Amino acid sequence: MSMNKKIWLLGLVVLILLIFSPFWGTIRLNWQTIFANDSNSFIFWHLRIPRVLLGFVAGSILALSGLICQNLFKNNLATPDILGISSGAAAGAVISIKFKLHFSFFGMGSIYIFSYLGALSAVLFIFFMARMIKNSSLYTILMSGVAINFFFSSIIVFFQYIFDFSDTFSLVRWLMGGISVAGYREAMFLSVLLLLFLLLVFLFKREFLLISAGDDFAQSKGLNITNFRIFSFLGLALFVGAVVSTCGPIGFVALIVPHLSRLWGSSQYTQTVLFSVLLGGGLLVLADLLARILIAPVDIPVGIVTSLLGAPFFLFLLFAQLKKTN
Amino acid sequence: MIKASNLSYFIGKKPILQDIDFSVQKNDFVLIFGQNGAGKSTLLKVLAGIVSAQKGSISIAGKNIHDYSRKELATMLTYLPQSDEFVLPIMVKDVLLSGRYPYGSLFQNFSHRDHALFHEAVEYFSLGDLVNRNILTLSGGERQKVMLATAFIQDVPIILFDEPMNFLDPGSIFQMIKMLQGLQRLGKTIVLVSHLIEYFFPYASKLLALKNGKKYYFGEKKFCPELFKAIYQVDYKRFFAENREIIFVNE
Repeated sequence: MSMNKKIWLLGLVVLILLIFSPFWGTIRLNWQTIFANDSNSFIFWHLRIPRVLLGFVAGSILALSGLICQNLFKNNLATPDILGISSGAAAGAVISIKFKLHFSFFGMGSIYIFSYLGALSAVLFIFFMARMIKNSSLYTILMSGVAINFFFSSIIVFFQYIFDFSDTFSLVRWLMGGISVAGYREAMFLSVLLLLFLLLVFLFKREFLLISAGDDFAQSKGLNITNFRIFSFLGLALFVGAVVSTCGPIGFVALIVPHLSRLWGSSQYTQTVLFSVLLGGGLLVLADLLARILIAPVDIPVGIVTSLLGAPFFLFLLFAQLKKTN
Repeated sequence: MIKASNLSYFIGKKPILQDIDFSVQKNDFVLIFGQNGAGKSTLLKVLAGIVSAQKGSISIAGKNIHDYSRKELATMLTYLPQSDEFVLPIMVKDVLLSGRYPYGSLFQNFSHRDHALFHEAVEYFSLGDLVNRNILTLSGGERQKVMLATAFIQDVPIILFDEPMNFLDPGSIFQMIKMLQGLQRLGKTIVLVSHLIEYFFPYASKLLALKNGKKYYFGEKKFCPELFKAIYQVDYKRFFAENREIIFVNE
């Protein structure tokens, strides 16, 4: 099957998923509710639709940020979760929630701003580690990312532990990752960011291709790799911070989706990007659907579903690949 | 074309290169050789502007290397590393076109000249079967060919080449030498680091021998067994056959 056909097919599957998934949940809706004017119609229009939309755009942004991160580090393991960018964002959000810092800045809530600052500090740390250790291999940078991940994770646990337990439940619930409480506003905000992200990814196609080919190669072709890395990391922090502040740290999407896109997709940049966006969005919508119906009426946090299903699935893929190469 | 004066490079306090000067004219083919750890690869990276020397200066076409922007420099010279670092799938076509990066800008698509050079390179290096493949699926020889073609597409007067023949079979080596000769005939200046002086000596126009980070010899190519002996501690001999100059290790 040609790659373009695969993308259309995936798009079709995702579209069907987007159309049908709002009808499923604790309360099973039928198509008449769309036009009715009752509580079910409210659930459909004001809970399910924004939730599905948010799931799609959040999944897409996560997948794309994973793909870009892998390009920047030339390593399949380098994703915002593993490098500590997600947990940095989460730690920022936790601090803002725990200290009840409520304000808004140009219409952005404090949680978002703190998430962004958290993600940014993780990114800056990784970046300065890279500069400090001269001639550092990407491996060293990756390892320092893993360390910063642990650091921010313990900050989160620390704040949960020392403060009173009154709002810990909602916090823990948020940290498990969820897209159930969001409305249109969040969905729209992330949609705009997704479009911006895609625009940048296509605008800087040459640069991302160059940097994924190796530092020496990129430099000899005229790319200022330091400036480009700074620019990319600032952007990554922006997008990852936005997703984490609205949905909590949702694991595995950023790791699995680019991997699958390369496995099932092609080596062409544009196609890999489109494939990742569709697959990331689709997978998160599917995971959220499962979260709603698996043990209804309990609404499982979607982050648990992605990790619970994602981890064994990822291992399965790894072994399948190993078998193929042996 | 290239003028290096008093280049010194240290890692910590350890000197890697010390007071190296030499100058390369247009269309020269300079062969740099020396033992492992003599500083050959570092010197090439310094010339490429990838690392900068703590002392001394380099001028490229009469202008200090630090006065070039990264992009401008990439229109003057290109550097081909010992081994490429491809780990993620990239189409060969995209690798080749990346050679046109220094001439493009953010909102600009590839120009006619970009495409013309691309097609010229595909033909010249016979890459027709490879352009739509993923670089990771290519053999070592094919990858080197793609890298050389990328340098061709980059259309720069100076090509710096580090140990191009690592891991190549004899057939690929001679194909590569032919291509380098072709590039030289097009008027390019080639600076090449290699241990394999047997292969490259006949084609070089100048020699640069490094020993322990210092310049041991620089000048016109001449067959000088003492020089080779001083560097590699083995005896080289030369003979002529079928109008070719052949040098070999005679131990």
